[in-house]
Amino acid sequence: MSLVVQRSDVSEFRRRFRWIALGMALLFLGLILRLFQLQLLESDDSKAIARENIVRRVTLATTRGIIRDRNGKVLAESRPSYNLYVVPERIDMQNVWPKLVDYLGVGVDERARLETLLTNIRASDGPRKSQQILLKEDISRDAVATLRTHDAELPAVDVVPVPVRSYPYEEVGAHVLGYMAEVDAEKLSQLRSAGYVEGDRVGAMGIERAWESYLRGTRGWEKVLVDAKGRRRPGGEGIIEDPRRVDPIPGRDLRLTLDAEIQRAIEKAMRGELAGGVALVDVRTGRILGLYSKPSYDPNALSGGSGKQVIRDAFRRLYSDPLKPALDKTIAGAYPPGSTFKPFTALAALEKGLIDPRASTQCRGALTFGKRTFRCTHVHGSTDLHKGIAESCNVYFYRLAAELGVGMDVIAEMGQRFGLGTRTGLGVNAEAQGRMPTRAWMTLRNKGQFRLGFGLNAAIGQGATTVTVLQLALAYAALANGGTLYQPQIVRAVETSAGTVVQEFAPRVRRQIDVSPENLSRVQKALFAGVNSEAGTAYKARVLGVDMAGKTGTAQVSHKLARGAEAERVWYFNREHAWFAGYSPTRSPEVAVVVLVEHGGAGGKHAAPIAFEVVRAYQELMRERSPRAGVTSAGRAPSKGQGSAP
Amino acid sequence: MIRGDVSGRARDHFDWPLFIAAALIAVLGVVNLYSATSVYSGSRSELYISQVYWLVLGGILGGVLVAIDYRHLERLGYVLYAFGVFSLGLVFVLARDVRGSSRWIEFGSFRFQPSEFMKIFLVIALAKFLHDDPRSEGRTLKDLLVPAVLTGVPALLILKQPDLGTATILTLVFLTIAAVTRVRWKSVAVFVATVAGAAPIIWSYVLLDYQRDRITVFLRPEDDILHRGWHAHHSRVAIGNGGLFGNGFMKGTQNQFNFLPDQFSDFPFPVYAEEWGFVGTVLLILLYAFLSLWAIRIASLAKDRFGAVLGVGCGAILFWHALINIGMTSGVLPVVGVTLPLFSYGGSSVTTVMMAIALLMNVSMRRYSAVPAPDRL
Repeated sequence: MSLVVQRSDVSEFRRRFRWIALGMALLFLGLILRLFQLQLLESDDSKAIARENIVRRVTLATTRGIIRDRNGKVLAESRPSYNLYVVPERIDMQNVWPKLVDYLGVGVDERARLETLLTNIRASDGPRKSQQILLKEDISRDAVATLRTHDAELPAVDVVPVPVRSYPYEEVGAHVLGYMAEVDAEKLSQLRSAGYVEGDRVGAMGIERAWESYLRGTRGWEKVLVDAKGRRRPGGEGIIEDPRRVDPIPGRDLRLTLDAEIQRAIEKAMRGELAGGVALVDVRTGRILGLYSKPSYDPNALSGGSGKQVIRDAFRRLYSDPLKPALDKTIAGAYPPGSTFKPFTALAALEKGLIDPRASTQCRGALTFGKRTFRCTHVHGSTDLHKGIAESCNVYFYRLAAELGVGMDVIAEMGQRFGLGTRTGLGVNAEAQGRMPTRAWMTLRNKGQFRLGFGLNAAIGQGATTVTVLQLALAYAALANGGTLYQPQIVRAVETSAGTVVQEFAPRVRRQIDVSPENLSRVQKALFAGVNSEAGTAYKARVLGVDMAGKTGTAQVSHKLARGAEAERVWYFNREHAWFAGYSPTRSPEVAVVVLVEHGGAGGKHAAPIAFEVVRAYQELMRERSPRAGVTSAGRAPSKGQGSAP
Repeated sequence: MIRGDVSGRARDHFDWPLFIAAALIAVLGVVNLYSATSVYSGSRSELYISQVYWLVLGGILGGVLVAIDYRHLERLGYVLYAFGVFSLGLVFVLARDVRGSSRWIEFGSFRFQPSEFMKIFLVIALAKFLHDDPRSEGRTLKDLLVPAVLTGVPALLILKQPDLGTATILTLVFLTIAAVTRVRWKSVAVFVATVAGAAPIIWSYVLLDYQRDRITVFLRPEDDILHRGWHAHHSRVAIGNGGLFGNGFMKGTQNQFNFLPDQFSDFPFPVYAEEWGFVGTVLLILLYAFLSLWAIRIASLAKDRFGAVLGVGCGAILFWHALINIGMTSGVLPVVGVTLPLFSYGGSSVTTVMMAIALLMNVSMRRYSAVPAPDRL
């Protein structure tokens, strides 16, 4: 029995049961204290986190305004593009990846490239591998559809729609319209308050940039319930406080004064030339119908959708091309106007009463002044003002400056009255100012030395005198319309996406140039003869049915390329710029046209034909669109709700 | 074999407080499981029904276990233990890999997890050993060598599965039982020193990467909320989100929006805490505390050492499971896979807990019964 008692003796344990029980009780008490801490003391924090976990504010994209030409043709719009995102770490390379590339339908090279990219990220240590990365931009609609149907087989793969700007006219008018670019960090810090976020695209050039605030629209947002995997869940009453949603406001549409068809016609007319700029301006309003710079570029390639690498390459090409496609040659390039400036010299002389327009001068092909000989194109013989302009005699204008007291300041002043050498204030891209050199300016520039020869150059629009294509077009418009210098206008109206006009811009007169109608008429007649008299410099370029007055120009290139460069480049870049400036029709003019062909050679041969081509296209378009054949009405857009031009 | 008068008298001593506490937890557990699995679709959303089946099955098994005088188990002690260790070994041969660990043996559609039952078998084996150990003087470590080995063998096998949680439970159950025996203070000191010394070795050689991860994440929880710290973080948020009174049944957003993975197995507590608040969690902890302390009371009233150790052991299983599970979900302990008794879904877990409670009931009901006749001993 003793064995039994001994084996079953519990007394040994007894005292310890209490300690064990006490220990358990204390540990449970500890748990209760912890829960007290979590559920009472720190509850508010947790409640906030729990709420944040499920309530997500998603931004509602807005649509960027559409840019249309004056007839309603779309020049820039947004189309949906689909980007493919993957989480490198979570993608199954054995089973999911082959399916994914199959559905995407990518080629062998592309597949290898993407695979390398993914493998590298997966092997790396950075946080990138656990985040969504952009694998492919702008995948095809077919691929999107396929991916959507096989969604369940493709974990860690996401297709996200992104609006991408699209420019249906591609290269035509790229400089004016501009393009979109991802907002950079520096700009973002300024724009954040306006609601921009990382990855946003913003107008980077042209109208896209200048009118960004109109085009952009305002993002909306919505609070939604999401679960741990980011899936949307319905409901939320009582969890999400009001307001739950703020609707996005779409951007404003813009109606331009530009005419897409004219832009196309200009592009076509310029096909034979490498570089240059053309402006077609409504003489009666200052509205720009055409503004084209060559070489151009495709804004679609820069505006996203095609992938960062493509964009980088496009930019590299844009800035490495010696023909400078990035430069808007119509407003950002200043060139000596050459003989196209002669009408202004003539007007300056006439207005000052310094010359008798009927008085003639003998042109022997050159004029020796001091130690220098100033050349003319050929021997003009007896030349008066009319002939001097029409046949572009340099000697006639040299004499004005050298012997008749038409000084630089007088010439510059007249040029300035016509807006030359002053920024036009188009407000779209950075403008070159150009220059109307004065005596003082030339003296300063030449270390206190002034030579009368400077004035001779200025009289024929050479030397330090520079203008932009648009300035010259507006100046010729003023010559044509009797002296009204208009503010150039390219955006005609701001409209809602529904088509209602929100704001319409009336033509603005910059200045009424005070010149005597008699003198102006003299110059106009000379410009008419320049095209229509047999000896006129543009006579050979005439096109049947195009009634035009104008002036050719051939401008020296001041910075000649040094020898030693490739012969071909030297030949091209040392060639003179070809100009033509004119207006049409000659009796109640409608449009002024200026053509600059960079390094094109003689204006009569290279620029004037283009101007005729453009004006002919203009006339044909007007005839087509006019309800009564033969009656042209530039500046009056046939679309609804436009109001009419004065 | 069971003498009529003993069993008859035992039935009169049915332990109602134990039964009611356990039943309450089970009911709360099923209700909570209903909410926890409501976020799923398909068969997973019906886990709470399976849980009821498991409770019924566990109840039947428990009933049988209650009917048999626990003292008969004494003779079976080492046999059951050997069977347990054998099935643990079998896991390595037969088990299918589930999420990186192999814990189950399958017979057709029936899955069973030997490591769960091992807890009961170990308690019985330890009870038998101490029952047979005549000593009443202070024990030295040497005296505890055999029970330590009895614990160590299955614990290491389980650690290899790998299942740090269950291995820890076995160790803690052993330590609790050891604490009841009279161990010399000096031995305790040596033991503590040894454990402290061995900790770095265990850290480097025994624990697996992911187990080390869990502990590092526990020590610095905010480092990796999106991955390894996800469970711990979101479970703490869920508990805190409950506040004083909770969001109400089925209204816990952390659960409903899927921020609590494994909410039916290892994380049912945050679901409950989010829905019933501090009031609810205190009630539940009090129930577990009652169960644990009641088990110690049963042990202290047991007539023999076998019953006493059985009581302490079963109590320890329930206690450590509840403590560790709630501790890990509330962020005071690292996340190891330890179930919450009668709250976590699972056949092996439920039946094991039911067996532990049945054994407690068994000991409790027979505390008045006569010491078996000497001829049977």
